[in-house]
Order: sequence, then C-alpha cells, then structure tokens
Amino acid sequence: MNDSSLAISVQNVSQRFRVIHERPDTVRELFAKFKGKRISYRDFLAVSDVSFDVRRGEILGIIGRNGSGKSTLLKIIAGVYRPTTGTVVVNGTLAPLIELGAGMHHELTGRENILLNGLLMGYSKETMRERQQKIIEFADIGDFIDAPVKQYSSGMYMRLAFAVATEINPDILVVDEILAVGDFAFQEKCVNRLRAFRAAGKTIILVSHSLSQIEEQCDRVILLEKGKMTIDGSPSEAIKAYLGESTMEEPMLVESPSPRA
Amino acid sequence: MNELFRDTFRYRELIWALAVKELTIRYKRSLLGFLWALLNPMLLMLVLSVVFSKILVSAQPHYAIFLLSMLLPWTFFSQSLSYAAESIVGNADLIKKVRVAKLVFPIAAVVSNMINLLLSFIPLILIVLVMRHPFYWTWLYLPVPLLALAILTLGATFFFATANVYYRDVAHIVQIVLQVWFYVTPIIYSVEAFPAKYHIFFKLNPVIYVLNGFRLGVYYGLLPTPASVIASFTCAFAALYLGFRIFRKHQDDFVFYV
Repeated sequence: MNDSSLAISVQNVSQRFRVIHERPDTVRELFAKFKGKRISYRDFLAVSDVSFDVRRGEILGIIGRNGSGKSTLLKIIAGVYRPTTGTVVVNGTLAPLIELGAGMHHELTGRENILLNGLLMGYSKETMRERQQKIIEFADIGDFIDAPVKQYSSGMYMRLAFAVATEINPDILVVDEILAVGDFAFQEKCVNRLRAFRAAGKTIILVSHSLSQIEEQCDRVILLEKGKMTIDGSPSEAIKAYLGESTMEEPMLVESPSPRA
Repeated sequence: MNELFRDTFRYRELIWALAVKELTIRYKRSLLGFLWALLNPMLLMLVLSVVFSKILVSAQPHYAIFLLSMLLPWTFFSQSLSYAAESIVGNADLIKKVRVAKLVFPIAAVVSNMINLLLSFIPLILIVLVMRHPFYWTWLYLPVPLLALAILTLGATFFFATANVYYRDVAHIVQIVLQVWFYVTPIIYSVEAFPAKYHIFFKLNPVIYVLNGFRLGVYYGLLPTPASVIASFTCAFAALYLGFRIFRKHQDDFVFYV
C-alpha cells in the first residue's frame, strides 16, 4: 500500500469455510478415506470478494444481518483468520475488541490478566506496567481487580476488557457489538473514549446492530449481505438499504398459512 | 528454523507469562502449591526405597538415585508430550479470538515443565545427600543433556500439538505410546541386565542418549562418550527441525479446526 493516508486496505478478500456434517474429527475420518467413503461437507463463502479502504481517522461502520459475514470480516482484519483469497494490509497497531474478554483467563486475577492480555496483543511488559494504573482506573471495578476473573460479573469483565484494549493506545480499534454491555455510566464512558479516539485521529471499525449508534458515530458504512458487500456509502444510505432489505423479506416471515376464518 | 529462534526471542515475555500462568493455575487451588513439584519425587523415592531395598533386592546399590536420575528427565519428556497434545486445542479460545503467534503455546508448555523439572532436582540433591551417594563433579555437565532434552522435547511437542488439532485421538495415542516407551527405555532397569546382542535394540531409541547423560553424571560420575553426545544432539535437532516444519506448515489453519 503506497498511500500512507490509509489505515486499512482490504482487497478482494474471500473466506471459505468448510462445514463438515456430523464432524468425523477422528481417525475414523482417515478410515473413511481409505474405504473410499465420502465425508459429507459443504463449503460456503462467509465473506465473498470484499474490497474497501479505511482512511486514517475514519470511523467505519459495518452492518448486516446475522450471518452476513460481519464478524468473520473483522476477524480477518484483526489477523485471526488468514483469508482464503485476497489481501489485507493494516498500517499501525490494531486493538481488537471482538469478543468480550478474549484472552482473559478465568483463574487469573484482573491484574494478572491485564499483563497477559497486553502481552498477547504484542505489547511489552514494560509498556503494560506503565499503563496498568490507568487501565485499573478506567475499568473502575474496585477491589475486584485482585480477584480471579471468574468471579466477575459480565459488566465488570467487559469494563476490564475495554479498558485494556483502549488504554494501550492503538492506532486502530476494531469493535464488535460490545458497547451494549455495561451500565449507562460505563457506556457513556466508552462513547466518550471513542470520541477521544476519533479526535486524536485514530481509526475505528465498528460493528453494531444499533443503527442509531452507527448513524451517530460513523463517517461511512458498509452493508454486508450474505458475505457480499452491497453498499459502501454514507450511514443514512447504508441504513436505508439495510432496512429496505429487511422489509422486503419481512412479509415472508409473518405470512400466515391459514386464511382468515 | 530461523523463524523459530526469531519469534521465540520476540515473544519471550509472552512465553514466560504463559508458562508462569500454566504453573500458577496448576497449583493455585491446592494447599501445598509449588511444594507438589518437590513432594512428588520425594514420595516416589520413599516408595521405591521400601520396595527395592526391603522387598525386592535390587542389583543396583542406591537404586533410588539410579532410578530418579533418569526418571525425572523422562517425566519431563512424557509430561511435556501430554501437555503438548493439548497446547493448541486447549487454547482454542485464544486462538479463535486474538491474533497471536501460535508457536508460543507449545514453547510455553515446555518451559513450564522445564521449571518443574528443575524444581524436582532439589529433592534429588537431598536424596543424594541422605543416602551418602558421592556428589560427582560431573553434575556440572548436566546443563548439556538438559539442553539436548529441551530441544528434543520441543520438537516432539510441535509435532503432537499439530497432529492433535486434526485428530483428537492423538492425545489418547500419546498416552499409550508413552507407557510402552517408558518400559522399552532402560529407566527402571539397566541395559547391562540384557545380553550384549540385544543392546542394538536400545540404541534405536532416540531418547536414550540424552537420558543416559543424566544417569552417567548423577549416578556413575562419568561423562558420556563424544559419540553419544553427538547422537543425542542429532536426535534433538532432527526432532526440532521436523516438528517445527510440520507445525509451521499448518499453523495458519489451526483456527479453523480447534
């Protein structure tokens, strides 16, 4: 990527998954091969030939129905999946907030998890030690910071995860549907933090089913439909298309088999 | 191979943190904690000394030392392999959610078991003192077989970690193989108990050269022959080379199978 104003460049990315029926995860699968038996599976494209760029400082929203490939796409960008075809280039450090508490270990305390999480994301021990106090302050979970994470409420879990991911000051933040967790005060704190990120010229990718949040936060929105990118445009444009897509299929869902009696 | 050394160095802090995590979790909910790493060989020795000095009369004087000098490194090897099979599959949650170099997991498993092995040498030293077995200067040589053992184990770990991702049976097969392997390796007995014409059979065992280094140093006060040192490092590097090659070839696909 020559253009240094780009934070992320996604080119012709596809992700194929193989769904094996009745999962022969074992040596039986080998035997089946020897005997010439077919193992029944089906390939499907979770993400199909998607291309887009994200400029530095841009907030990009991704919307689509369940199973449209949003999370898969995020995982490809975050480097968890290597795409079947296509390339992804990421300029700068990226912090994924894809699943709540990814990389947290239940038996370890919050404090121990902060270090482990940071190391997993590629930061040094020294960096994490410097940031530790700020992370604890932002998470604001009191004495629980020294209790094993398995004793946390889901809200506390989320607070800590969000604090770790954002306090280490990444260039790019990838957020998947997590701002809905936590109480009102913490949600506001998160939104403020996202604003501060934006003000600092950082890049954010946001996946959400909350259309009001998407409309409010994003500069640009991508709509995914069955793995394909159908819209890449302004929030209102994408949301309109998304809602149109839903209403078109809605009658089928509410269709009643028996006529009025 | 270059990649292996580079990434190990690059992720050294993470590897260390994961190894410490492994040990913390293993001992966290137990009252005696880390003491178990010391107590296990102690208790084993107690049983053995009763069985072999009072019930069965062993041909080896100071049998406990004869045995433990080889059993402790073997335990490291077999425990690492048992954990190895789980090192990728057991971290499925992480691998599916975070971008992380996969090689840190098998390495961390080996490192945590290595810490256990080093701890278990403390009771061995106590036993040597209590039984008044001579303390040979050849103890100083032990870091050499320790290094060869670590390399060998890491190679095997890479292989079994990969295999278990695709076929979960591997974890069970490893257990059976290790049991058979334990008995065909002269750990509880001495090669000398067999006629010379069978010795060739033992020479085919890739772990014997490195394990023998421990027994020679601790029990006999001897150094291994240069040929057996070369053999032990050849086996170790061959295992590492093959194991890592297979691991590297498949590591990007792990996320789809765990």
